[in-house]
Amino acid sequence: MLNFLKMLITPEFFFSIIRISAPILFATLAAIVVEKAGFANIGLEGLMMFSALAGSLVSYYTKTWYFGLLAALATGVMMSLIMGFFAFKLKTDIILVGVAINMMGSGGTLFLCKVITNLTQGKAMASTTGLITKSLCIPDITIPFINKIPFLGSVISGHNLLTYLAFLFCLLTSIMLYKTPLGLNIRAVGENPNAASSVGVSVLRIKYTAMAFSGLMSGFGGAFMSMAYAQGWSLDMVSGRGFIALAAQAMGGGECFGGMLSAIVFGFAQALGIKFSAIGLDSNLASPIPYAVTIIGLVIFAIVRNSKIRKQHSAAVLAKSEAK
Amino acid sequence: MTKRRQIRFTIIRSLVAICIALLVATLLIFISAGGDSFQEKLQATGEALKQMLIGPLFRMSKKKGTSFELKRLADILAAMIPTIFTGLSVCIMFSANQFNLGAEGGIMLGAFASAMAAIYLPLPAGLHPVVAVLIGGTAVAIVMLLPALLKTKLNVSEMVCSLMLNYIIMYVIKFLMNTYLADKSRGQIMSFPFRETANIPPIVNNTVFSGAKLTWGFVIAIFAVILCGLFMYRSRWGYAIRMIGINQDFAKYSGMKVGSVIVLSQILGGFLAGAGGGIEMLGRYTNFSWSALPGYGWTGITIAILAGNNPYMVPFAAFFMAYLSKGCDLMATYAKVPAQLIDIIQGVIFLFFAAEQFLSGYRQRLVVKSAEEEIAARAKLQKEG
Repeated sequence: MLNFLKMLITPEFFFSIIRISAPILFATLAAIVVEKAGFANIGLEGLMMFSALAGSLVSYYTKTWYFGLLAALATGVMMSLIMGFFAFKLKTDIILVGVAINMMGSGGTLFLCKVITNLTQGKAMASTTGLITKSLCIPDITIPFINKIPFLGSVISGHNLLTYLAFLFCLLTSIMLYKTPLGLNIRAVGENPNAASSVGVSVLRIKYTAMAFSGLMSGFGGAFMSMAYAQGWSLDMVSGRGFIALAAQAMGGGECFGGMLSAIVFGFAQALGIKFSAIGLDSNLASPIPYAVTIIGLVIFAIVRNSKIRKQHSAAVLAKSEAK
Repeated sequence: MTKRRQIRFTIIRSLVAICIALLVATLLIFISAGGDSFQEKLQATGEALKQMLIGPLFRMSKKKGTSFELKRLADILAAMIPTIFTGLSVCIMFSANQFNLGAEGGIMLGAFASAMAAIYLPLPAGLHPVVAVLIGGTAVAIVMLLPALLKTKLNVSEMVCSLMLNYIIMYVIKFLMNTYLADKSRGQIMSFPFRETANIPPIVNNTVFSGAKLTWGFVIAIFAVILCGLFMYRSRWGYAIRMIGINQDFAKYSGMKVGSVIVLSQILGGFLAGAGGGIEMLGRYTNFSWSALPGYGWTGITIAILAGNNPYMVPFAAFFMAYLSKGCDLMATYAKVPAQLIDIIQGVIFLFFAAEQFLSGYRQRLVVKSAEEEIAARAKLQKEG
């Protein structure tokens, strides 16, 4: 046990927690913003799959990683706007739109991958891992001076560009939500769309904007998966991160900072799972850990929330009876 | 709107949705079809489409021409068995407005539990498959208690919870298979063979269908459809489930036990998914070797949407999906278009079926027309009276 703990308290372990948290954090931010606008986007999983595929393919064809990243972002935004069209214009239940996107994101991406590689490479490939080399991935960044600090340096420095962006975006999203007119509008639409529209806010436009933002974040998440976390796209590589993000959103109380902490908790669970399999446990026993932690986390969050509501309620009743 | 117009609108709307999906499919096939010139590509597209649309029932060969084939029909009917069960399962859960997406993990767990009962329980033939399938269903019903109770007691999202459960179920089953239950003498990971007594027998002798395996599971599935239909439309509980789905606050206000009905709907849904998994496992296989989620749960969601959460429509929707899926498989074999096209077609159909406002202009015109006719009829009556 002590040996195992010693194995955990290493810079590599903390480094891997941050690395694993990044894509979950991107998706969590996506979930937070749409939730603030009053609906749930459960299609994050599918959006990330499509973005991951587009990113890796374009990166390969243009031989430049930033075009790949741009393609991933564009794919995420475009798909999310299509989702918005179905949800807001054709009045499809937003949850069902998400289910449909996830369905397509699983088998449909494999279809596209096979067709596109067949057209360009001459043979159908079931993944793009053979096409993407290290130089086509999004680069890692070594922070000067900080990387010289013992322990902390090797935890914080040397991450992928997108990992830093994820945490930066966490801050920016929080500022966007609470310090800008757009954020105010998003929250107003989520709280009470009728009131928002009565003061001249275009509810529909705000909803589309929130949707596009979630697409953008999923695009980052997808690009991270296929161009940083792994080299190249493969089937079902997002493996539930889009769903975990929904849980992280709920657990974080719908706030950016809380969401970030939840994402890190899930990153920790996953990193722990990897360590478990490293010491010889069956990986199938370690793999469900993050999913189980998600359920436990949701339960704890719900209990805390309910007791808070109860306390507020009893305080209100007390105040009322005292006033009499 | 008159009932006849309502039905006509529903049919036209469904057809348009399917046509759009097929159009998208045609476009994708055209892009992926082989051939150097436009003409050749067009021809290849036509061939592929023919395989997809009529291939599931008819064998096409250059020498003998097109001929109906009973085996392929039996294949489609057999493929419907698990998806009818997941479709029913999703129907009941979605009717109560519970977006429980656990049918996917449910069917795998049901198949696994039934398989274990089929291997390790010594029981006489006839009774054995019944007990095994019941065990499969019960196992999933118990697991579905988790999202249901968390939802009613703590208001935890049943959707996220059930999605997480899918992954947990898959990994735990894989772990159990790898470590304890696998038959180590085999090259790949699979369980010991089922006892002979646990087999679900085919309806008719195999030679009639030239090898296709259509078991009594199909009859049970149809029976389940009727039971679910009666339950949803002719029982107090079914009424409560539908009422809660329409307006939960109203149901609560009128004295329904909302919490227990929500739990009931998910237990039933879980039981159906599990039983479906068990029947599929015992009917089609001789040992358990699934190493990933089979995808029937997601198809079940599509089927429930196509059926409009009406259990009686589930077999038709299931037939449609099985037909398309078979068509895509054939297309992949004969025309070199990847079979995963089915996922895109499924998604597009799904989106348009679920879209409430799709063709709403047309519906509006029908409503106006009906109203005008009614007013005219009333005016006529008044004149005469």
